[in-house]
Amino acid sequence: MDPWGLIPQLLISGITMGAIYALVALGFVTIVKASQIINFAQGEFVMLGGVITFFFIKGAGLSYPLAALMAVIVVVIIGFLLHVLVIYPLRKASTLILIMATLGASIVLSNTSALLFGTLPKTLTSFSGEQPLEIGGVLIVPQSLWVLGATVCLLLSLHFLSHRTLLGKAMEASSTDPLGADLVGISRNLMVFFAFGVSAAMGSIAGVLVTPLFYTSYSAGTLLGLKGFIAAVLGGWGKNSGAILGGFALGIVESLSVAFIPSGYKDGVAFAVLLLILYFRPKGILGSPFIDSRRW
Amino acid sequence: MISLILPDPHLPYRREFIKKRDFLYLGALMLLPVIWPDSLFLMVLAGIYAILSLGLSLFLGYAGQISLGHAAFFGIGAYTTAILTTRYGVPPLGAFWASAVAAAAFAYLIGKPILKLKGYFLALATLGFGEIFLVIVRESRSLTGGVSGIFGVPWFSLAGFTFDTYLKQYYLVWGVLIGLVLFAKNLVRSKMGRALLAVAASEDAAASVGINVVRVKVGVFVISAAFAGFAGSLFAGVMSTASPGAFGLGLSVLIVMMVIMGGMGTLYGPIFSAVFLTWLTDVLGGYQEYSLPIFGVILILLLIFFPDGVGTRLNARLIYLISYWGRKRRRERVER
Repeated sequence: MDPWGLIPQLLISGITMGAIYALVALGFVTIVKASQIINFAQGEFVMLGGVITFFFIKGAGLSYPLAALMAVIVVVIIGFLLHVLVIYPLRKASTLILIMATLGASIVLSNTSALLFGTLPKTLTSFSGEQPLEIGGVLIVPQSLWVLGATVCLLLSLHFLSHRTLLGKAMEASSTDPLGADLVGISRNLMVFFAFGVSAAMGSIAGVLVTPLFYTSYSAGTLLGLKGFIAAVLGGWGKNSGAILGGFALGIVESLSVAFIPSGYKDGVAFAVLLLILYFRPKGILGSPFIDSRRW
Repeated sequence: MISLILPDPHLPYRREFIKKRDFLYLGALMLLPVIWPDSLFLMVLAGIYAILSLGLSLFLGYAGQISLGHAAFFGIGAYTTAILTTRYGVPPLGAFWASAVAAAAFAYLIGKPILKLKGYFLALATLGFGEIFLVIVRESRSLTGGVSGIFGVPWFSLAGFTFDTYLKQYYLVWGVLIGLVLFAKNLVRSKMGRALLAVAASEDAAASVGINVVRVKVGVFVISAAFAGFAGSLFAGVMSTASPGAFGLGLSVLIVMMVIMGGMGTLYGPIFSAVFLTWLTDVLGGYQEYSLPIFGVILILLLIFFPDGVGTRLNARLIYLISYWGRKRRRERVER
C-alpha cells in the first residue's frame, strides 16, 4: 500500500496520542516547576487511572463517570502519598538519589497494581459508541474526539487554576521565585505537595481517556511516562506551552513513522527523537527557562 | 550534584597489586565453595553483577556521571559472544575479548554526544539508549533471535579446559573480577583517576587546570562499558542463552543501586553490595509476585536511610573504632 495515502489517517491517531503525551508532559512540568524534581513514576499515574477505573466498574459495579471520578481521586491520594513518603524525606538528596527513589516508586506502583488488579491488559468501553465517523475519507473514532475535547477542557481549567485561584497563584509564585514566595509566607513544601496532586490528577485523567483506545496493563506506565518526559523536553523543558506542543509533535512524528519503518520500531522512534533533540537543541523547540543554550 | 565521598584526596601514583587486606578477601573467596557449596550459582551471578557494578562505579562513583543504560552494554557483550560463538564458531576466549571491544566501541560512538548532558538529562539519554537497544534486539530477528533470544551458547572454555560446573564457573568469574579490580585500582591511582575525581567535583574547575573533560568522561564511559562487555560475555557463557528480558531497565536500576549502596567512590563497596543485592533478589524471588513490590520498598528505604551507601557508613565507623583502639593501646604503652 502506498505509504503517502495512509498519512491523513495516521495524522489523526498521532494527534490523539499527542494529546495524551501532552497531558503526561504537563504532569512532569507541574512538578518540575514547583520543585526541580523529575518524577519518573509519572507514567504509573496514567496506568493507575485506567486500571483503577476498570476495577471500580467491574469489581465495585459503579457507573462509568463515577468510577472515573473515584479513580482520579484515588490516584491523587497516591500522588500525595508519594510526596509524603518518598519525595519529602529525600528533599535534600542529590539528583541521583531522587532518580533512583522515583524509579523505585514506579516499580512499587506498577507491581502492586499487578498484584491487586491482575496482570491481564484491561480496556474500557468508549465514552460514546464505537461507530467511526468518516470525514473526507478519513475515519475518526469518537473516542479521539473525546480525548481532544477533554484535553482542551483540562488545559483551560489548569490555566484557570493557576491564574484565577489563590492556590494556583501561590503555586505559580513558588515556582517562579521560591525565595520570594517563602518571604511572603507561601510554604514551598506545601506547594510541592499540591503539585504532586495536580500532576497525579492530570496523569490519571489521561489514563482514563486513553484506556478505551489502547489496552492498559500494569507495565504500560513506564513507557508512557518516558514518552511524556521526552515530549516535555522536545517542546521546551519547564514550559506548559512547550509540554503541549512537544506532546502533539511527538505523537504525530511517532504515528507517521509507522508509514515508513516497520511498526516494531515505533517505540524506538521517541527515544531517537530524544537523542537528536538533546544533541542539537537541548532547550527544546520553544526554549526553556531552566536550560542555558550552551550547556547545563 | 552528586554526593561524593572522596576516597583520599592525596592518592599517590603507585602501582598497586595486592595488600595484606586483600589476602583476607581472597582467602574468603577461595574457601567459600568449601564452606557453603549451595551458594555457588548465586555467587557466579553475583560475580558477574560485581564486574558490572565495578565498571559502573568508575563512571558513577568516581566520575560522578549517571548512567541508566548500562544493561545495554551488558546486553551488547552477551549478544556479541552468543552470535560469534553460535554462528561463526569463534572460540569463547576470542568472543570474550570481542564482546568488550564491541561494548566499548558502542560506548565511544554514543558517548561523545550523550556526555555533554548532565544530571537528569544524562540519566534520561542513557535510559533512552537502553530502550533503543532493546527495541533493536527484539526487532532484528535474523541476527538476535528476537524476543526469545539465542540459545545454546557454548560453555566458556580455555585451551581445551571447559568451565562446565558451577564450581569452575565460580573461579572463572571471580578470577576475571580480581583481574579487573587490579586494573581499576591502578586506574583510580593514575592521572586519569585523579582527573575523574576532579571532573566529579566540578567540571569547570577541572577544565581550568588543564583536564580535557570530554576526553576523560568519554574515556571512563568506554572503560566501564568494556567492563560491562566482559560481564555480558561471561553471562552468555554461563547461562548459555542471551535474551532481551535480561537486559532491561530493571537491571540498569539494580546495578546503579549496587554502586550507590556500596558507596560512591569505592571499588570494594560495589562488589560487596552486588553480592548482597543478588542474594536479596534471590531471597525475594521466593515470594513470587510479591517480590518486586517488596524490592521497590526496600530500595526506597535504603535510599532514604543510607543515601551515601551502607558500605561507607560501616567503613567510616569501623575505621574510627579501629583507630580509636590503636590510639588507646599506644597511649597505654607510653604510660607504662
